[in-house]
Amino acid sequence: MGKKIEIHDFEPKIMAFVCKWCTYSGADLAGTSRMDYSPNVRMVRLPCSGRIDPQFMIKAFEQGADGVIISGCHPGDCHYNEGNYYARRRNTTFRQLMDFNGIDIERIEFSWISAAEAIKWTEVIDAFTEKVRELGRHPQYNDDIVDPYAQFLVQKEQESA
Amino acid sequence: MIEQIRNQARKLLEDGDVDVVIGYAEGSDPARTTPVFIRKAEDVDKLIYDPRCINSLPLYLNKRHEYTRKGWKKTAIIGKGCDIRAIVQLIAENQLKRDEIYILGVPCEGQVSHPEKWDGSLHDGNRASKCIGCDVMTPHETDFFPGDKPDVDRSNPYEVTSPKVANLMELELDKRFAFWRTDFDRCFKCYACREVCPHCSCNVCITDETTPSWIDPAAHKKGVFSWHLTRAMHLVGRCTGCGECTRACPMDIQVDLFNQRMKEVVQESYSYKPGYSLEDKHPLITYQVDDREDFIK
Repeated sequence: MGKKIEIHDFEPKIMAFVCKWCTYSGADLAGTSRMDYSPNVRMVRLPCSGRIDPQFMIKAFEQGADGVIISGCHPGDCHYNEGNYYARRRNTTFRQLMDFNGIDIERIEFSWISAAEAIKWTEVIDAFTEKVRELGRHPQYNDDIVDPYAQFLVQKEQESA
Repeated sequence: MIEQIRNQARKLLEDGDVDVVIGYAEGSDPARTTPVFIRKAEDVDKLIYDPRCINSLPLYLNKRHEYTRKGWKKTAIIGKGCDIRAIVQLIAENQLKRDEIYILGVPCEGQVSHPEKWDGSLHDGNRASKCIGCDVMTPHETDFFPGDKPDVDRSNPYEVTSPKVANLMELELDKRFAFWRTDFDRCFKCYACREVCPHCSCNVCITDETTPSWIDPAAHKKGVFSWHLTRAMHLVGRCTGCGECTRACPMDIQVDLFNQRMKEVVQESYSYKPGYSLEDKHPLITYQVDDREDFIK
């Protein structure tokens, strides 16, 4: 039956911001059809891909996500007629902005997945997880921020051990 | 030139056509000028214009400022080309009505990059980088202009004037990240870049919102990166390149490099140049069915 479980050194954290009419239903179909896909993805359901503010992606990276997936209906299929066209324009510029900032745009995936494309969803997730795993941990902005309280706790633990 | 502007401003104030004239006056030291709000006709002799007048005056037309709530019906404003671009962009975004504003255009020969670099004259050593390749030295949208207005071809694409943008784009990805990391290390989040921007028009800035707190308010790198990315994203296709954000930065962070790069992207992808048309829609609030989607899987 299902896939063989592999153990990796690094499990990437992946955020998915998805449209509820297409991609969320597609993922739902994948679930009800008992398809296997990588468990690294955390999904957030939004009304439309046009609702996905670049702020969400900035926040996801700020909070330690290693990759972000944005997904919605195919062009022409939007429940609100034109939301995904706006999302497309917004992401064209946002990707260039992230690139200029020195963040690898391979970490941001944009994909059109309809409610019937459960197989495409599993393929996209598996391929993206594999890609991010190879890229490694996201160079977080907060690498050299050390929480003094956390440091104190670690120190205390070492002393008592 | 300035005499003609003064006479026109005096006439406007005496006739009651405008309630206030916003312009420049001598500042606290010889290298500086300061913005003035002139409400009486006898005060117009304070007005000056020379390469030291680097402040961006359209800032005071932005609705988030109290000046716009003083009940002034019509405002006259002295505008150099880059400021008029900002005014045009505000009108195109419905932040302002064209008939609320009387634009006194001035011919401009360039500005100094910073008051500290002023040594009595303007030369290549102290010229602001935005003035190189400027196509609005004769302003495009004016109500009054001293002398004749020559026709200038403004159809050329937006020119990136800071060599740093191209240099950064040539660097490896991680080097670029390291550059911003060292630069942003100095940022202590005074938000001067926001306060000085003529296009930041939210009533409550997203950084000031606390429920939810979208951007980490602390001045460590996490919050600083988020803030600068958000700021640049909000100005995509709206920034008219006055360069005030970089000038206002007390830590010399070149925050306008982001804006310059994004202007280039918007020009390439949607051939849109902000600040040149009163009617054209901003590229992110409109779409074409056949927009580029080479990045979409």
